[in-house]
Amino acid sequence: MASTSNHQYPSPEIEDDLIDPDDADLNDFDDPLARNESRQPLTGNIGTSSSSAGGRPLNEQSWTSRIGGEDRSAPVNTIDETVWETLRRDLLAVWSKMREVLYPKYLFGGTMFDYQSGGSEGGGFRSVYANLRGAGISGAREELAGLAGRVMDPEALLNQSNMSPGLRDWDMWGPLIFCLLLSLLLSFRAKDDQKDVVFSGVFAMVWIGEAVVTLQIKLLGGNISFAQSVCIIGYTLFPLVIAALLSALSIPVVVRIPVYIVLIAWSLAAGVSILGGSGVVKNRVGIAVYPLFVFYLGLGCLCFIS
Amino acid sequence: MEQQQNTPGSLSWRLSSHPITLLCFLAFRISSLLVYLFGMLFTENLVMIFIITILLLAADFYYLKNIAGRRLVGLRWWNEVDPQSGDSHWVFESSDPATKTINATDSRFFWLAMYAQPVLWIALAILALVRLKFIWLPLVAIALVLTVTNTLAFSRCDKFSQASNMAGSALYGRSLAGSIASNMAGRLFGR
Repeated sequence: MASTSNHQYPSPEIEDDLIDPDDADLNDFDDPLARNESRQPLTGNIGTSSSSAGGRPLNEQSWTSRIGGEDRSAPVNTIDETVWETLRRDLLAVWSKMREVLYPKYLFGGTMFDYQSGGSEGGGFRSVYANLRGAGISGAREELAGLAGRVMDPEALLNQSNMSPGLRDWDMWGPLIFCLLLSLLLSFRAKDDQKDVVFSGVFAMVWIGEAVVTLQIKLLGGNISFAQSVCIIGYTLFPLVIAALLSALSIPVVVRIPVYIVLIAWSLAAGVSILGGSGVVKNRVGIAVYPLFVFYLGLGCLCFIS
Repeated sequence: MEQQQNTPGSLSWRLSSHPITLLCFLAFRISSLLVYLFGMLFTENLVMIFIITILLLAADFYYLKNIAGRRLVGLRWWNEVDPQSGDSHWVFESSDPATKTINATDSRFFWLAMYAQPVLWIALAILALVRLKFIWLPLVAIALVLTVTNTLAFSRCDKFSQASNMAGSALYGRSLAGSIASNMAGRLFGR
């Protein structure tokens, strides 16, 4: 990983700060505003910053633009927009979060998409669909291979810039919809007089579970806000909704066991790949992820026995 | 809606400058309450009523936060998270009074509905407690959280917009709440 990122200039005795290379573009020069960070990517997470040449400035755009005001945080842009613009932007934000869950970045090494604006641009939407169609089957196969091959890499987990921009602004649509679907599907197979209890029970369990997992990450020193974590965990319930759907359709037990294990692993992979790098102290990532695992496993078992 | 039309003064939707927005807003606000109160008359299926009510509440929350507040009173709020530290802070924005005039009718409707809804849900929560219908409590709790959040955020947003309009120079009112957030702003702008 580090070998690819070595300096490409053969004469290391020339001081880089004094002589700017000919083929350098504006992004390679030192930014006086961001002097502190400009050195950091070269030493820390080299692999990601060198693989995409414009990675650092794009990430910083969300910082600097808070001052200049060009992205959606700029108040002037959003107060007078039409209703459709609002709806479209929020739907795209929801979709970009779903994408993170459908393709857990941790499993695929983060190379499948470039997360530059979290799908908030109009042009990105169509290419996402093309990606979805194109990589659907090969992506699923790759996931199975990756599950076996890719062992947990603590370095990737601890990468601070793990969270993509699309996940920074949270919403509650995913948690709400998936929680409702899960409770509804699980209550289908319950006895008639127990339907209400099962529904309320699952509903409450999901929300309490999300709160507990979030609390655990917060207590371990994670730099994630409460609502953000609940949002992410809610979105990663999607594979478990599939499991609940299979339960509601009363698929035979023999088929369900391996499928459910895969689905729980999918949920866990998505949850870990998004939440894992939320700044938990280095040797406590396992402790932070464990309750997440218990949460998914519990819901999976609930799907299984219903 | 019907009984509000008959009240004297400016509380008539005909005086509104955004009648469709206003009517949708009132419909969303009232419908969740109606489904919760009278849903059991039509069906015995508690789960169905639960889901419909929650979806209506969520739609109301979204519509109020992102569309009605913006078009009726020119206010908007949202919550931002700092990716480095994970601190969240509120951001408020309001329209410039020079370019957008707020209709008095819209404003009155808006704030009436805004404050009436949480009060009604609190009453329903007490009612559910007294009647020992604990199965409805999660629903009432969610309703309370959603409506109270919106009410608090919009009333603070209104305060901030008045303050910034008084200051005169503001094109938009924007403020960061809390000492942590202001610290963070200092760090942001200091770079």
